[in-house]
Amino acid sequence: MPIDKKQIIEKESAVVDGIELSADWNRMFEQRVVHYEDNDALDKVRDLDGAESIGWCYQCGQCVPVCPVDAVGEYGPFRTYKDLLMGVDLFKSDELWKCTTCMQCLRVCPKAVDMVQIMPAVREEAVMEGDVPEELQEAFENTFEYGNPLGESQRKRADWIQETGSEVPLMKDKKEADLLWFVECYPSYHARGKEASAALAKILNTLGSDFGVLGTEEKCSCDSQRLAGEVGLFEEFAEENIKTFSKYKFKQMLVTDPHALNAIRKKYPEYGGEYDVIHYTTYLAPLMEKLEMKNTLNYKVTFHDPCYLGRHNGEYEAPRSILRAIPGVELIEMGRCKEQSYCCGGGGGGMWLDGFMADHVSERLSENRVKEAVETGADLLVVCCPYEVSRFEDAVKSTGNEGKLLVKDIAELIVEAMG
Amino acid sequence: MANENILVIGGGPTGLEAAKGIADLGYKAILVEKRERLGGTPDASGYAALTPDMRDAGEAMDEMRAAVENNPNVEIMLNTEVTGAEGETGNFKVKAKSAGNEVEIEAGAVIIATGFTHFDPGRETQKYGYYEHDDVLTLVDAEKMLKEGNFVRPSNGEKPKRVAFIQCVGSRDRQIGNEYCSKVCCGISSKQAIEVREMVPDCKVFIFYIDMRMYGYWENEIYWPAQEKHKVNYIKGMATEIIKKGDHLIVKGEDTTMRRPMEVPMDMVILAVGMEPSAGTRQVADIFGVKKNQYNFIETIGGALNTVSTNVEGVFAAGACTGPSDLEDCISAAGSAVMKSIAAVRRVAVPA
Repeated sequence: MPIDKKQIIEKESAVVDGIELSADWNRMFEQRVVHYEDNDALDKVRDLDGAESIGWCYQCGQCVPVCPVDAVGEYGPFRTYKDLLMGVDLFKSDELWKCTTCMQCLRVCPKAVDMVQIMPAVREEAVMEGDVPEELQEAFENTFEYGNPLGESQRKRADWIQETGSEVPLMKDKKEADLLWFVECYPSYHARGKEASAALAKILNTLGSDFGVLGTEEKCSCDSQRLAGEVGLFEEFAEENIKTFSKYKFKQMLVTDPHALNAIRKKYPEYGGEYDVIHYTTYLAPLMEKLEMKNTLNYKVTFHDPCYLGRHNGEYEAPRSILRAIPGVELIEMGRCKEQSYCCGGGGGGMWLDGFMADHVSERLSENRVKEAVETGADLLVVCCPYEVSRFEDAVKSTGNEGKLLVKDIAELIVEAMG
Repeated sequence: MANENILVIGGGPTGLEAAKGIADLGYKAILVEKRERLGGTPDASGYAALTPDMRDAGEAMDEMRAAVENNPNVEIMLNTEVTGAEGETGNFKVKAKSAGNEVEIEAGAVIIATGFTHFDPGRETQKYGYYEHDDVLTLVDAEKMLKEGNFVRPSNGEKPKRVAFIQCVGSRDRQIGNEYCSKVCCGISSKQAIEVREMVPDCKVFIFYIDMRMYGYWENEIYWPAQEKHKVNYIKGMATEIIKKGDHLIVKGEDTTMRRPMEVPMDMVILAVGMEPSAGTRQVADIFGVKKNQYNFIETIGGALNTVSTNVEGVFAAGACTGPSDLEDCISAAGSAVMKSIAAVRRVAVPA
C-alpha cells in the first residue's frame, strides 16, 4: 500500500495525558504514517521468470536521467523499484505502461537490471488479468484478428506491391531467392511506410538483388506486442512465420523493421527458427558504391538511431555510411545519438499508447526528439524504422515545425539521389 | 652476539602466519599466546565461516595451527603473557609469565600481533538493549549459533521469521569515540544474512545501514549474492530504538532512501559490532613503549608504504592490533612484518 499523502500530518504539538510532547515525539504517535512493507509487492514481481533483476537494484539512480520518458514526465526503473518497496502493485499501476523498452537504462545500469525482460514479464500477467490500456488492447485484438496491429485485412498485405512500380517477386512463385525480405506491417500498410517500401524495392532491383517477399503469407513479427505483454500472441505468430519460412529456400533474411530484426534474431531461435537476418541499412551500406547517384542532394540531415537497431542490435554505422555515400548530404548529429540516442516513443507497445501516455507526459517523446532535430539546423530528419516516419511527421506538425523539417526514410533519400 | 630469533606475540591468524613465515625462511620464531590454545579470536569467539570465501573457520584455523605445531623452527609458549621488555634490535630481553612462572625470552626482533576485541554494545549511545533483550545479539553471538547450525531465538528457542542486522554499532561514532569504520562488519553481516537465509529459508532478513562498505571482491562475492540470490533486504537508514512489545522487538528508525519512518517488528536483532583494540594490544604496546593512536590501536609509522613498523626500532605490529583489519589484511601484514623483522636482525647480525 503506498503512503497516503493526505494522512501525513505532523502536529506542531501534542498533549497526551496532560503532558505536552515535543514535535519529535508526537509524530511517532499517529499522525505520520509509520510504514512497513514485507516486500510482497517486490516479491510478486521478482518471482516472475525474467523479472528477477528488478531485485538487484542498489538505488544508484543512474537509470532515471537517461530514461526518455523521464525527460518528458516522471519515470525510471529506480522509481519503479522504489514504488515496489513502497508496496505499489505494479500489475495494476499506470507505471507499468510507460516503459518503451528502449534499453537506455540497461545501457547504464551497473547491476544490469533489465527492464527489457522485466516489463514483458510483468505485463504478461497484467494482460492475462485484462488490466491493459484500451488502445493497446485494440492493437492486440487487431493483431490477433487480422495479423497486423493496424487492423488491415491480411488479404491486402501485398497490395503495396502494385503501387511500387517495381517488380517485387513473391516467394510462393519463386520458391528460392538469395534474400527473403520480411516486410512487416507498417511498411506493408501505412501510407508512408509503403513509400519507403517502394523505395527499397527500387534499390534492390537496381542492385540486381535476388529477393522475394512473403506477401499475404507474412504475419506480424509481434515483437512490440511481446514487449507490451502479449507473449502468447508472439509465440503463436512466431511459430506460424517460422513454418512459412521453412517452405522456402533463402540465404539471408532482410528486414525493414528493427523490431522484426530483434524478434527474428533474438527470439525466433527459441522456437526453432535460426536465420541470418539483417536490417536493410546493414545490407545496403556495403553496396552503395554499386548504385549510380545522378543527383547531388544539398541537404543538411540529422539521423535518428532506432532503439532496436542501435542499442538493441548494435548497428550504428551502416545508416551513417549510407548517408556519407549520398552526394551532397551533410550529416549533423543530434546531441543524443548512437548509444545515447533518444527514443521515438513507439517501442515496447508505445506505438499504441499515445493516448494513454498523453496523460502522463508534458509532450510526446517524438515531439521532444523533433525539437532536438530542429535545433541542429537540419532540413531533414532521416529515419530507418517504420514506426518513425509517421511518429515524427505528426510531431513536426504538433510542434509547429511544419516547413522547417522533413522526415524521410533513408531508402527514400537513396532513391532521390539515384534519380 | 646478536640474537636472530623473532618473538611473535599473539597466536591468532596474524601471529600464526608470521611464525610460519619466519620458520619457512629458516629463522626461529618464538610464538607467545596468552590463551591455552592457538587460533586467536576466530577460535575463541567460535567463528563459523570466514568472510568472504565462506570457508569453515575451524578448519582454516586447524590448518594454520598445524603449520606451526611440531615445526622445529617454532617454539610455542601457551598460557604466556608478556610482562616487561628491554633492549634493542638484536638484543631484546622480554619478561613473561608463562603458566605461572616468570620467564625471560631473548629475541632479536618482536612482532606484536595481539589483535582486537569486539565492541561491547552496552557502550552504545543509542542503547539497543543488548543486555535487556534476549533476542538482541551481536555478530559474535550470531556467529556461534550459525556455527552450531541452530539459529533460533534465544528467548523461546523458536526459529525467527524476521531478523534485522543493524550496522555500525560502535563504529563511525564521534560520541563513542570510535570514529573509524570497522571495515569488516558490512561483509560479515551480509555473510551471516546469507547463512540465515540458507538455514531458515522462511526467515526474512533486513540489513539497516548507513553506507554498505564492501570493497573489492567483497562486493561481488558477498554483497551482490546476498541481495540478488538470497533476497536480503537492504534498508538505508539506521534503527535508533528497540522496544519489546509482546513477543516482538519493535525496531524504529527512518528509511532515508524512501523518506519514511519505519516501525518494524523483528524476532531477532543482530548488532554489527565493530572492532576495538584488545586489552592485550594496549598492554603490550605500553610494555614496549610503542605509540598508540587516539583509538588505542598501535600506530604504525610508515603511512601507506610501511604498515608494520612502529616508533620502536625492532618492534613491528601486524594485523588488527594496528586498526580494523579483515583476515586478508592480517595475513598480508604478517608477511610484511616477517620480512622487515628478519631484515632488522640481519642488519645487526651481518653488518653491511
